[in-house]
Amino acid sequence: MAQVRTLDVVQDVQILPVERARGSVLGQFVRKKPLGAAGGVLVLLLVTTAVLADVLATHDPVRTSMNVLVAPGADAWLGTDNLGRDLYSRVIHGSRISLLVGLASTVVGTVIGGLIGLISGYAGGKTDLLSQRLMDIMQALPILVLALVLAASLGPSLTNAIIAISIPIVPRAARIIRASVLAIRGLTYVESARALGARHVRIALRHILPNTMGPFIVLATAQLGASILVEAALSFLGLGIPEPYPSWGRMLSIAAAEYAEKAPWLVIWPGLAISLAVFGTNLLGDALRDTLDPRLRGS
Amino acid sequence: MTSLRRSIHFLTLVLVLLLAFTLPAPAQAPKTGGVLTVHPLTAPPSLSPHEESTIATVQQVSACYSNLVYFDPAKKQESLDTIIPELAEKWSWQDNYRNLVFLLRHDVKWHDGKPFTSRDVKHTFDAVRGAPDADAKLRINPRKLWYENIEAIEAPDPYTVVFRLKRPQPSLLLLLASGYSPVYPAHVSMAELKTTCVGTGPFKLKDYRPGEFVEYVRNPSYFIKGRPYLDGVKWVHIKDRSTQIAALQAGQLDVAGSGWNKANAETAKKGKAELIVVESDSNVNDNVLINAKRAPLTDERVRRAINLALDRKSYLVGPRLGAATFGGAMQPRPFGVWGLPPAEVPTLPGMGDATKQKAEARKLLAAAGYGPNNPMKLTVSTRALAIYVDTASWMVDQLRQVGIDAVLEQIETGVWHPKMTRLDYQLALNLTGTAVDDPDAMLFENYRCGSQRNFSGYCSEEIDRLMVEQSQTLDHAKRLKLVNEIDRKLQAEGARPILGWGKQYAVYWPRVKGYPQHENSIFNVSRLQDVWLDK
Amino acid sequence: MRGYVTKRLVIAGITLLGMSMVIFVLMRLAPGNIVDILFESAGYVDQADKKQLERELGVDRPLAVQYARWVGEVMRGDLGKSYRYDMPAWKIIKPRLPVTLELAFLALVFSVLLGVPFGVLSAVQQDRPLDYVLRILSLAGLSMPSFWLGMVVILLFVRALGWMPSVTYVSPFVDLKANLWQFTIPALAVGYRSSALIMRITRSAMLEVLREDYIRTAWAKGQRKTLVVWRHALKNASLPVLTVVGIEFAFLIGGLVVTETVFNLPGVARYLVDAIQLRDYPVVQNLTMFITVVVVLANLAVDLLYAWADPRIKYGSA
Repeated sequence: MAQVRTLDVVQDVQILPVERARGSVLGQFVRKKPLGAAGGVLVLLLVTTAVLADVLATHDPVRTSMNVLVAPGADAWLGTDNLGRDLYSRVIHGSRISLLVGLASTVVGTVIGGLIGLISGYAGGKTDLLSQRLMDIMQALPILVLALVLAASLGPSLTNAIIAISIPIVPRAARIIRASVLAIRGLTYVESARALGARHVRIALRHILPNTMGPFIVLATAQLGASILVEAALSFLGLGIPEPYPSWGRMLSIAAAEYAEKAPWLVIWPGLAISLAVFGTNLLGDALRDTLDPRLRGS
Repeated sequence: MTSLRRSIHFLTLVLVLLLAFTLPAPAQAPKTGGVLTVHPLTAPPSLSPHEESTIATVQQVSACYSNLVYFDPAKKQESLDTIIPELAEKWSWQDNYRNLVFLLRHDVKWHDGKPFTSRDVKHTFDAVRGAPDADAKLRINPRKLWYENIEAIEAPDPYTVVFRLKRPQPSLLLLLASGYSPVYPAHVSMAELKTTCVGTGPFKLKDYRPGEFVEYVRNPSYFIKGRPYLDGVKWVHIKDRSTQIAALQAGQLDVAGSGWNKANAETAKKGKAELIVVESDSNVNDNVLINAKRAPLTDERVRRAINLALDRKSYLVGPRLGAATFGGAMQPRPFGVWGLPPAEVPTLPGMGDATKQKAEARKLLAAAGYGPNNPMKLTVSTRALAIYVDTASWMVDQLRQVGIDAVLEQIETGVWHPKMTRLDYQLALNLTGTAVDDPDAMLFENYRCGSQRNFSGYCSEEIDRLMVEQSQTLDHAKRLKLVNEIDRKLQAEGARPILGWGKQYAVYWPRVKGYPQHENSIFNVSRLQDVWLDK
Repeated sequence: MRGYVTKRLVIAGITLLGMSMVIFVLMRLAPGNIVDILFESAGYVDQADKKQLERELGVDRPLAVQYARWVGEVMRGDLGKSYRYDMPAWKIIKPRLPVTLELAFLALVFSVLLGVPFGVLSAVQQDRPLDYVLRILSLAGLSMPSFWLGMVVILLFVRALGWMPSVTYVSPFVDLKANLWQFTIPALAVGYRSSALIMRITRSAMLEVLREDYIRTAWAKGQRKTLVVWRHALKNASLPVLTVVGIEFAFLIGGLVVTETVFNLPGVARYLVDAIQLRDYPVVQNLTMFITVVVVLANLAVDLLYAWADPRIKYGSA
């Protein structure tokens, strides 16, 4: 059995080739996994908000004004912050940043990690041993601490934040993909393909890769939530996305600490936004894992 | 009772009542005892004021040291008139303000028991001024500039010190009275003084936990008899602002407010109406560094446009939450001694009508070749700390309102000053807090050609000359005129536009008596020997 | 078995060594070295003074030399001097260790006390309303940023309920009540999130076990359901649960960083953040190594536990 560790779930993942179902997959999904569907809706909401931010916002998120620390009302739906900026518009635009950073780091991290895992698992031998040790080393530190050190080294900027958050994902992704590759590699039909003289790359791409898609998707969804959380923590500690990008985590660090008493809305809404976004991805991720991996239906 | 008697009774009553209400109430006698728990700006980087430039160190270590002379804690506006003796009993200027002679106290002991003598004074200030024959060296020496006018320091006998100057400088006395100028013991190494305190002050260091607290206990052999009143002082550092406020309200802190803004003070008071809030001016200002050596800022019109675009009224409401004063390079009157005449202040750029000034800014930019079809791109740099970032975000928005495509760049601690010194920026938001409200300190540090803190790279021979002239001018009225003239020129040139001067807050419980607060500095009040607790 | 243990120990050693190099290099990649920071608080830059200081601190030597020096010191047990505070790093870390350890320990206790029973309950009530509620609660815990939870908790408890513990650390040996008053809320805040994970694992492990034949046999034989659940099922589900508990301890540390900041507990994790921002190399290096050691040891303990519990598991199949 392959022992696999992701950020928030330790599971025994048994990988089987994915059966392609046709027809109303979506309908089946909604019926069987209502929580997952709810999660899907939340994620969709996040994506829509991010894409349509300019339309949905009522003010320029960066524009300061004389109306500081105004309570939520007709003019400013969620109130204003200490520089008179409209909180609602900032939260809306913040979705863009969170999604962008979350997606970018997840994609970069899981793709790089996945590639390493694929090569490592397929090639075996010394390559495998070496990359395993490398992954062990990278995984030895908790995500936040590693991201912290990286962000401090690189400095606060959008690209650096993405790099800092994606790097801790790499070993975790590598581990999972490698495990699934190992399982598949031993399957009869792969061995027969080899016997028939197919080239390694062809085998890797044609047979192995598609069958790691299941765990890959599960992994990506789980890590998306994790990335958003790590980005928020980094911004909170001052190391993530710099101003003037309205990042949810940063909104919580400055305004919340100073003005929490006077203007609790500054604390509530950005935090709620983060929680809902991550909650949605987690729900969706759970449901996806259940569907793509029937053996795990129990969880 | 006869009517006469009644009248006499009545008159006596009236007289007694009159006396009772007009005679001053007898002052409460200070009680001894108790430990004062205070919240500082932040945890101190080290315990050595001579090697730091932050209030965090000065405020938490002043209780332990003594100066030659100090500012009277009870007088709110610091000036030459409020200087009181500490280690020096008497002093006198000789030779037309060229030599300063101090006659020292005979009865002072260091906290470790050794006697204080003139050798300690010479040791301290030779080290600070970087004298070639000094018996000690400071690893980091931010205020060497203050003492560059000193030719030599002599200690002819154990209780006399003579400062020989190159040219007259009446302000030297003020510089020596600042919280940054304590006297160090000659028998303790400079390195040791970073992590411990051996002083002659009213309190002895009991325990120092970096990042947590600094704890003091009364010095039983303090040279001022009957002081301090308190048994001890503890400076406790809490990172989170709302926890600071909550701790004050719960009574776990006696005093807080260092680094607070108006909103914090109001929040504290709202939760606990008994708290006393003291708001005063401070000698700290937000200013803008404009790198005139980098395009497009080489154009004088562009620089002026930027200054005009930054609406000071909006600055007051937003970043300052209504608590700021306005003026030039010296702290504004009436609390600052050397500020521009109040009538002139509203005419400074950025102070007028916002729409008009922004329109004028746009015109200037257009004349320089920038407009909607060719927007100017500028980067505003600031330090990656909350107080700076907020104001800088406001700045970015103001510039965007006149069509400048401005972005914010946050610089990490450690990289900020090297970057500024290298002139590796376009616009920068800076905070300047000078220890003493004196032109010698403020003008020399920030505007003299080649000064290490002159981050905007400003250099004018004429201003330099005027600066030296005012430093030697003995007549106060004449000197004030000179200083104002310099200030006017600096503002006209937009050398380093001043956004505004912030206020400082002290919030404390009524049981805390005698807590000092000055109007034109935050650095010179933390001796705390006259503070007492009415418990 | 011996081979397995040795191999594991060797791996742990390599991991530690590799980590030490990574941390060492990363810290020095950061713009601004310790000398810059020291001058920072002085508010000026003097090139001559800087060079002198760099020479004194040994910061101008080549990286390899500095690294070798550091490794040598660690081997000798010398944790070096904090550049920032000019005192032995150990002197700064020592009073902070008990704080972090106590917080982590209490958080772990809470997470197990909350996670295991709820996990069992959830499994037994699978797909019924209680199951959904518990799952949503636990997932919510995992979705909230730990610092936000801390802030909300403070707003709630401090503002609304008047919870205000001592502003300085009170040792449990000095005043146990005050100490617990200080630690319970923060430990719950951290523990809640960890408990979510433990709950999920317990639930899935229990579900697997509950489906097993011997459980059904026991039921068929007429044994009481609760007894079966707690006696048999839990025992067999305990291994994966223990695994998670061990791993969670390492992940807790990430949560501790923000919790110590928000709740003003003078622990090691909070100091790590400060030290990183202050470029205090010796402290950061030693603290990160310390955390790595803890994590590696935790993983090692878990692996050894597996080997001891299940002789079929041989190193190489994982």
